Amino acid sequence: MTFFAPFTIPFIVGTIFLFVAVATKWILWIARLPKVDRRLIAHNFFSLGTLAAIWEVVRESLLHAKIFRRNPLLGFMHMSLAFGWFLLIVVGWIETIVYLGFEMIPLQGHVFFKYFMPLNGIEAHIPLFEQLMDALLLLVLTGVALAWFKRIASKAMGMRRATKHVLFDRIALSALWFIFPARLVAESLTAALYGGNGFLTGTLGGFIGELLPTEVLTTLYEPAWWFYSSALGLFFVAMPFSRYMHIFTEIPLIFLRRWRLRPTLERKSYDNFEVEACSRCGICIDPCQLQEDLGIHDTQSVYFLRDRRYNMLSLKVANNCLMCGRCEAVCPVGINLTTLRINSRAKRRNIPHEGRYRYLTSLDRSSGEGKVGYFAGCMSSLTPAVQHSMERIFEAVGEAVWYADKDGGVCCGRPLMLSGETDAARKMVAYNTDLFRRHEITTLVTSCPICLRSFRENYHLDGIEVLHHSQYLDRLIAEGRLSVKQGEESYSYHDPCELGRGSEVYDEPRRVIEAVGELREPRHSRRDALCCGSSLANTVIGDEQQLRIARRMTRELEETAADAIVTACPLCHKAIARSTHHTVVDIAEVVARNIAE
Amino acid sequence: MSTLNFGYGINRPRAIDLDNNDLRKSNAIIAEMPELQACIGCGSCTASCTAGAITNFNFRKLHTAVRRGEYRGVYEELSKCMLCGKCRLVCPRGINTRGLVMLIKRKLGDF
Ligand code: SF4
Ligand code: SF4
Ligand code: SF4
Ligand code: SF4
Repeated sequence: MTFFAPFTIPFIVGTIFLFVAVATKWILWIARLPKVDRRLIAHNFFSLGTLAAIWEVVRESLLHAKIFRRNPLLGFMHMSLAFGWFLLIVVGWIETIVYLGFEMIPLQGHVFFKYFMPLNGIEAHIPLFEQLMDALLLLVLTGVALAWFKRIASKAMGMRRATKHVLFDRIALSALWFIFPARLVAESLTAALYGGNGFLTGTLGGFIGELLPTEVLTTLYEPAWWFYSSALGLFFVAMPFSRYMHIFTEIPLIFLRRWRLRPTLERKSYDNFEVEACSRCGICIDPCQLQEDLGIHDTQSVYFLRDRRYNMLSLKVANNCLMCGRCEAVCPVGINLTTLRINSRAKRRNIPHEGRYRYLTSLDRSSGEGKVGYFAGCMSSLTPAVQHSMERIFEAVGEAVWYADKDGGVCCGRPLMLSGETDAARKMVAYNTDLFRRHEITTLVTSCPICLRSFRENYHLDGIEVLHHSQYLDRLIAEGRLSVKQGEESYSYHDPCELGRGSEVYDEPRRVIEAVGELREPRHSRRDALCCGSSLANTVIGDEQQLRIARRMTRELEETAADAIVTACPLCHKAIARSTHHTVVDIAEVVARNIAE
Repeated sequence: MSTLNFGYGINRPRAIDLDNNDLRKSNAIIAEMPELQACIGCGSCTASCTAGAITNFNFRKLHTAVRRGEYRGVYEELSKCMLCGKCRLVCPRGINTRGLVMLIKRKLGDF
């Protein structure tokens, strides 16, 4: 049996190149993993996590279930390309085994089996396989057609804006678009000359056979197979440098994630898996308010990851992000976009400075005494009504409270962290942790979602329960310690990014509002809520731009026609208050006003 | 001799020497953040400052000095800032003060 023909050379070269390139990347990335990560892999290798990862690979990398849920047509496009191609390979493999038995057949023998069949004198066709392979080819071709369609009409597939691609992506994309039509032509020509094949290539072959004289068919035959093989080869060569590297990156990423590896505030080798797992699907573009409200089109996560991957990340792109998490919430690959953005910033300016914040030594401005600590947060000192309301509530329930920063405190450190100054931030973390420990509190209530998130994610406060004031209030009401009057007023609630998407606190503030009045939801709420635009994470956009973001978001709150707009973050409060004439209050104020006598 | 404490001290006599001050860095900073020229020196940033509440850190003084081309000690002093962002919220001219802190440090420091 012979399984070699000159036209297979592009394919063979491409495949070897692809294999070497991907293997090199994988080996380098894994070898450079820090010790903690390698230990995690060793520890979790034989665990249920591995089984869960296998299932997730099938569900997400092949079937693309998450994209399906978002938009069925878009999901079908991804699925037909990925799963269809995968089945073509698997079924093709089985087909050759059925025909030839378990023999050592080189790779090109499987891939171009239709070419080698007549060459090796195999005449008896198995209709089941012929039809099946044609059906699969049709499935993939549908995917390709949809991909074309998406280029011209992305809106129909639930995407208002599609990704702008770089050169390598364009090469790979063009090659990919040609692979399957080329296969269709080559196999149809084979059918025209040698008979056989299923409903698609067979029928098309018969048609061509009647249309064209045999001499033309034989002249076209080799070039057609050459074209198919070259498209495959070109695609494979471009693949490791293009977005299509995501195919070979998402799979190990899923396993590593199940083995509990995570990106951190400092860059590490694991980040490579996350960065290159991005398929540049562009789903993260639409939710970005910088794009929608400000017309900034170069900073969305897809472009940030692309720039970082090709080492062309500018300071501006790294910094121009609200870290609102709206993109992370929809990313079908589940990339930790915020953490990656932070550690990209860290690399740029994390210069430790001895003596920095030396003034923190032996500083203690706290007052009061109690097991419950109240940390208003820097921003809350600009919204004194929040602090006064909390004080009234503490008094009403007779809570003994230690006030951490009533007379000026130290920042929680998250703003520094968001700017990439993680080393400096650690000094704040150490200072505040020590302060809390020294005053032996067991509960820590904060009015600022930014502080809340840093206490939860960046502090080690074992033995101290950290609550946002909305959670604390919810608990007081539920436990009957605080009785409130149910009033007539209606409130439209804004989910702060750091509280909602950031800390998954959605229900408590809503329950609190419902206890005192009527709750109204804006068009975008909960996981889908809009950012107020004043996020500390963005140091690029100016005042007027912040205001534009705030205005659109506030308009949705106004549209509910509620008596007042309620939020639970001092920063959001400020941003909303300056873009509306409606009443804006914090949830603590709402409760304090409605304490039952 | 004991002096009365009026709650304020007397500044050292000083002069702004615009002929000798090197304005190159100052100009570079203003070129990147032109809005700084809109500063009216109101001092709201200093008044609201978290770091200023616990030390004698004075943000308005620092960015004013930088604009005049007086950079000595500014980098070290500016690293007292906690980047908390209160100043940005109160600035009546809407100056991106946090961005400014980072910009000045970037231009004056060696990173
Ligand atoms: S970051 Fe996620 S959503 Fe955005 S392009 Fe990449 S894979 Fe798609
Ligand atoms: S975090 Fe928000 S601002 Fe940043 S890229 Fe994502 S959607 Fe845009
Ligand atoms: S960001 Fe810096 S300068 Fe501004 S208020 Fe906070 S500590 Fe002061
Ligand atoms: S608050 Fe704004 S305008 Fe006032 S001194 Fe500070 S930067 Fe200048």
